[in-house]
Amino acid sequence: MATTIEPAAQRYVDELAAVWAERKGVLGWLTTVDHKRIGIMYFFTSLAMFACGGVEAMLIRTQLIGPNGHVLSPAAYDEVFTMHGITMIFLFVIPMTTGAFGNYLLPLMIGARDMAFPRMNALSYWIYLGSGIFMYFALATGHAPNAGWFDYVPLASKQYDPGNNIDFYGYGLIFNGIASTMTSINIIVTVFKLRAPGMSLNRMPLFCYAFIAASVALLFALPVLSLACVFLELDRELGFQFYVAAKGGDPLLWQNLFWIFGHPEVYIIILPAFGIATAIIPTFTERKMVFFPLVALSEILVAFLGFGVWVHHMFTVGFATATYIYYAAASLIITIPSAVQLFAWITTILTGTPRFKTPMLWIIGFIVYFILGGLSGITLAAIPFDTQVHDSYYVVAHFHLVIFGAAVFPILGGMYFWFPKLTGRMYHERLGKLSFWLTFLGTFVLFMPMHIVGILGMPRRNYTYPAHVGWTLLNFIETIGGYITAAGLVLVVLNLAHSMRHGEPSGNDPWGGDTLEWSTTSPPPPYNYPVIPTVSSPYAMWDTEDRERDNRRLARGEGLLPVGHRTPTSTAQDADIDEIASMPSSSPWPPLVALSLFGVFAMLLLDHYWIVVGFLAVLLLTVLGWHQGAAAHARAHEVVPAPETGTPHE
Amino acid sequence: MSDAAGLPRRVSGRPPASSGHRRGAQPNGMWGMALFLCSEVTVFGSLFGTYYYLDFRVRHWPPDGIAAPKVTLAAISTAIIMLTVPTMYAAVRSARRGGRHGALGWVLLSMLLQAAFLGLQVAIFRSDLMQFSPRGSAYGSIYFTLLAAHDAHVIIGLALDIGVLWNLWRHGVERYWLLGVRGLALYWYVIDVLAVIVLFVTLTPSL
Amino acid sequence: MRKRSWWRPRAWRFGAAALVCIGLTGCSRQSILSDHSKVTHDIGLLWWWMLGAAVIVFFGAVLLLVVAFLKRRVPGLPILGEREPVAQGMVLVFGIAVPLVALVVLFAFSDVYLENVTAAPAADTTSMTIDVIGHQWWWEVRYDGGRAITANEIHIPVRTRVNVVVTTADVIHSFWVPALNGKIDMIPGRRNHELLDASQPGVYRGQCSQYCGLQHAHMAFLVYAQPMAKFRAWLANQERPAINPTGAAAIRGKADFMNDQCASCHLIAGTQAQGYIGPALTHLATRSTLASNTIPNTPTWLARWIHDPQAIKPGDRMPDLGIPPRQIRDIVAYLDELK
Repeated sequence: MATTIEPAAQRYVDELAAVWAERKGVLGWLTTVDHKRIGIMYFFTSLAMFACGGVEAMLIRTQLIGPNGHVLSPAAYDEVFTMHGITMIFLFVIPMTTGAFGNYLLPLMIGARDMAFPRMNALSYWIYLGSGIFMYFALATGHAPNAGWFDYVPLASKQYDPGNNIDFYGYGLIFNGIASTMTSINIIVTVFKLRAPGMSLNRMPLFCYAFIAASVALLFALPVLSLACVFLELDRELGFQFYVAAKGGDPLLWQNLFWIFGHPEVYIIILPAFGIATAIIPTFTERKMVFFPLVALSEILVAFLGFGVWVHHMFTVGFATATYIYYAAASLIITIPSAVQLFAWITTILTGTPRFKTPMLWIIGFIVYFILGGLSGITLAAIPFDTQVHDSYYVVAHFHLVIFGAAVFPILGGMYFWFPKLTGRMYHERLGKLSFWLTFLGTFVLFMPMHIVGILGMPRRNYTYPAHVGWTLLNFIETIGGYITAAGLVLVVLNLAHSMRHGEPSGNDPWGGDTLEWSTTSPPPPYNYPVIPTVSSPYAMWDTEDRERDNRRLARGEGLLPVGHRTPTSTAQDADIDEIASMPSSSPWPPLVALSLFGVFAMLLLDHYWIVVGFLAVLLLTVLGWHQGAAAHARAHEVVPAPETGTPHE
Repeated sequence: MSDAAGLPRRVSGRPPASSGHRRGAQPNGMWGMALFLCSEVTVFGSLFGTYYYLDFRVRHWPPDGIAAPKVTLAAISTAIIMLTVPTMYAAVRSARRGGRHGALGWVLLSMLLQAAFLGLQVAIFRSDLMQFSPRGSAYGSIYFTLLAAHDAHVIIGLALDIGVLWNLWRHGVERYWLLGVRGLALYWYVIDVLAVIVLFVTLTPSL
Repeated sequence: MRKRSWWRPRAWRFGAAALVCIGLTGCSRQSILSDHSKVTHDIGLLWWWMLGAAVIVFFGAVLLLVVAFLKRRVPGLPILGEREPVAQGMVLVFGIAVPLVALVVLFAFSDVYLENVTAAPAADTTSMTIDVIGHQWWWEVRYDGGRAITANEIHIPVRTRVNVVVTTADVIHSFWVPALNGKIDMIPGRRNHELLDASQPGVYRGQCSQYCGLQHAHMAFLVYAQPMAKFRAWLANQERPAINPTGAAAIRGKADFMNDQCASCHLIAGTQAQGYIGPALTHLATRSTLASNTIPNTPTWLARWIHDPQAIKPGDRMPDLGIPPRQIRDIVAYLDELK
C-alpha cells in the first residue's frame, strides 16, 4: 500500500521538495551527488559498455562461423577477445550491478534518503567513466590489450608484448579498481548505518544481504589485483623481476595473485544477481522467501568461501597432488550454499502462486542456466576431467552460462521489474516476453554446443580452426545462437526505450511489491521518503499497518526532517536511531578529482613521469578543495544528535 | 509513538548512551576510514605473501651476492614510529575534550616522529640501493617495493597530518575536524602496526 | 536382464554418445572421449557418470518448475500442503543433504582415487623420457638428452609408459594430446611432466592449449604410437646426421640453404646449419606436416611456405626472406631428400 499524500500533508512535502530539488541541466548532472541520478548515469554507461562487449562477441562468433575465417586478423582477434572479457567484467557487469542497481535501489530499500557518502559516490562514477574511456582509447588507437582478460605473463611482459597494449590493461585496471573500491565502501556503510530506524538486520531485505556480501568480497579481492598490476607495470616499465623465472621471480606469481582476485570476482558478479532474484521472486509468487535466514547466511558464505578456491583455475600448472585435492574439496563445498539458495527459490516458486510476467520469466531462465552452469562447474572440480577440458570451449561454456545466463538474466529481469518505478510507465508485456524467449533460446543455442566442441578438443582463444577436425558444424550453430541472442537483447532495449515515451502510466506499485521502494511515487522524488518509514519485517510493503501509520505521520508532519538535506543514521545491528546527518546537495569536486586522476594514469601510460607528479599535485589540490567544502558544509549544517530518552518502539 | 522530531524511538530497549560520550554507533566517517584501511591491509598482506612465496621457491634468499639486511637502523626507526601510537591516542583524547592546543601539539609531535621515521627509512633505502638493485633479482624487486609501499603510506599520512593541523589551527576542534583527528589516528595505528610487520618480513633472512 | 543392464555405465555411455553423435558430422580428431589410453578411458568413464547425474539433477529441477507452472493458482505443495516446515525441509534435503552426499562421492572417486591414478608418473615407473620444449609457435622434441632432435611430431612406442618432460623457451604453452592424457602446462623455470601410454597404435592430434600469442591457433602436433620395432627404427634414423644430397637440384639447394639465412635459424645435424631458433630440419622428409601441423608436407606446400610464411601463419617468427623461386625449388628438392 503506497504512501499517499493527503492535502493536509502537502505543504510539508512541498518544503521537502524545495530543499531537495536537483539542479537542472548538464551542470546539474555533472555536479549531482544524488544516488538516483548517479545510478542512472551508471546504468546508461554500463549499458553502452554491454553493447561494446556484445559487438566484440559478435565479431568473435562471426570470425568463427567457419574454419579459416578472414573477418579478423590474428592481431585484431586477440585484441577483440581480450577487450570482450575486460569490458564485460570490469566495465559492464560490476558497474551495472553495484553502481546502477546498488546505488539506485539500496537507499530506497532501507528507507534512507541517499547513500552514506554521496560525493564519493559521484566520484566513483566519474572514475569509472574515465577508466572506460581510458580502455577504449586503447582500442580506438589499435593498442588494445591483447593477452587475454587474465593477461598471463610472460606473454604480457615487455619482451613478448613490447607496445603499450598491456600498459592500458595494467594502469586501466588499477584506475577502474579505485571506483569499485569506493562503491563497495559506500554500499557497506550505507546498508549498515543508514537503515530506517527499526530495520534491524533480521528485517533487512535479502537484496541488501547480497549486496553487502558482494561489496565485502570486492573490498578484499580488488587490492590483490591492483598489486598484481603494480608488479606487472614495475616489471614492464622499470625492469623489475617479479615474474621473471630466470631472476628468481615466477610467472605463476601473477597467476596466483590474479586468481586470488579472479575467483572471488565471479562470486561478486553473481551475488547481486542473487539479490535481484530474491527481490523479484517473493513479489511474483506472493509468498515470503522460504527459509529466509538460511538464504541470507548462504549469500554471505558464498562470498566468504569464494576466497579459498582459486587454485582450481590452475589444475594444469604442475602443483603437488595434495594441493590440488584440497582446492578441489573447497571448490565442491562452495556448491552447498548455492544449492541451498537454488532450492529455496524453487521451493518458494513451487509453494507460492507464481505469476509469470516478464521479470519472473527472466528469473526462471536464470534458475535454469544457473543449474546448468553450476553443474558444469562441479564437473570441473573433478581434477582428472579438468585436465582434459581446461582451456577448452567446455570452460568457455561453463563461465558464459554462469555469467551471462545466471548473472545477466536477473539484470535484464531487474530492468523490466524496476522500469515502472524509474520511469512511471509500463513496458510492453508481450514484447517483453518475446525478448525473453529469444534471448533464452539464443543463449541455449550459443553456449550448449560449446560443451560438446570443448570435449571434442577445441581449445579456447583460437582465432580460427582447421576444417576436417570435426568442429565446423558446432561452431556454425553457436554463431547462429549468438545472432539470436543479440536479437533478443536488442529487443529488450527497444522495448524499454519505446516504453519510456509511450508506455502506459504504471502507478506507484504495479506488481504488489514487498520492499519499500514500491511505496514512493514513480519515479521517486529526490528526497525518496517524505516520512522516514516504519519497518517491522523484511517485507515492508506487505505490512499494511506500518504503511498506514506512516500516512498518518505524514498528515501530522512528523518524521519529515524538512530542514536541510537530512537523513537519520542508525546503529549497525538493531538500527536504533543514532543521529540526524546532513547530506551534501551537489558538488563540483568529484568530476574534478576524477579528471586529475585520469591525467595521472594517462601520463603514467605515456611514461611522462614528471608530468605525473604535476597531475598528482593537481589531485592533491582538488582533494583539499573537496575537504574544505565538506568542512564548510558541516559547519553550516549542525548535526542533530538523536533524542536521548525514549521507550521501545511499538 | 514517536518523539518530538517525529522519529521512532529506540527499538532495542537498551538504555541510551550517556550524554557527552559517543552513543552506540561509530560515525560514518570512521566506518569509511576503517573499510579503506581493510583494503590497504589487504595490499600489504599480498606484499607479505609475495615475499614469502618468492622466498620459499628458492634455496638462497637473498640470492648469492646480496647481504642479509641489517637490523639496527631499521629496528630503531620502527620503534620511533611506534611512539606515534600513544601520541595520536593522546591527540584524540585532547580533541574529544575540545582542547585545540592539546590536539595540535600531539598531532605535531606525531608528525615529527613520523618524519624522523621517514628520514631513517630513506637513508636505509639509499644505502641498500647502492648494494643491490630491484632490477637485478626478484628479491630486490619485492624488498624495495615492500619498503616503498610502506613509505608511500607514511608520506600520504604526513600530508594528512598537515591538512588536519592546518584546519585545527584555523577552525579549532569542530565536529568535522574531531572526526578528522579520529580518522587520522586510526590511519596511523594501522600504518604503525604494518611498520612492525614490514620490519619482521624484510628482516626474515637476518633473524 | 534388462533391469540389470539399466544402471551399468555402458548403457548410459552408448545412449549419450548416440545423442551426441546425432549433432555432429562424424567424430572429432581431437576428442577427449576417443579412449586410446587407460587414463583417457578412466576420465571418459568419469565424464559419462557425471553427465548422467547432471542430467538427472537438471531435469529434476525442470520438473519442479513445470509443476510450479501447472499448479500456479494453488499455494502450497501437492499432497504435502502449505505447512512452512515442509518447504524448509525440502530446502534442507535438496539443498544440503543430497548435494553433500553426491559431492562426497564425486570427490572420493575423482579427486582422491582417480587423481592419484592420473597424476604425473613417478620417475621410476616410466621406461623412457622425451623432452618437449614449447616455442612460439612450434614444438621442439628431444630424445635421449638431445641425441635426436626433431619438431612438431612425437613418436612413442605403443603400450609403453613414456615420461614427457615439458618446459618452454619463451611464454607459457600447454601440451595436450586429448586422446592420450589431459594437458600439462609448459612454464618458464619449471619442468613439468606427464605420462603418455597409448594402448593402440595410431596417429593422435595434439594442440597447444594455453594462449601464447598470435599463432596459438596454429600450434598443433602429431603423436605417432608405433610398435616397438618400428619406433626403434624411427629413433635410430632420427639420431643419424643428415643425408648428403644426391640430386643436382638438391646439391644446389643445400648450398643455397647454407648461404641464405636458413642456416642461422635451423638445425640440420652434420652440416653447417646449427641454428636453434626454428625447428630442426635434419629429417624433415620423414614428417607428415609442416608449420606445426598447419599444412601438409608436400613439395608444393613447402615451396609456398618458404616463399611467404606470413601468408600461412601471419605473425609467425619466420620472415619473408625474399628467396627467388628457382632457389626455392632447389631448397625444396634438398629438404625433400632429408629422410
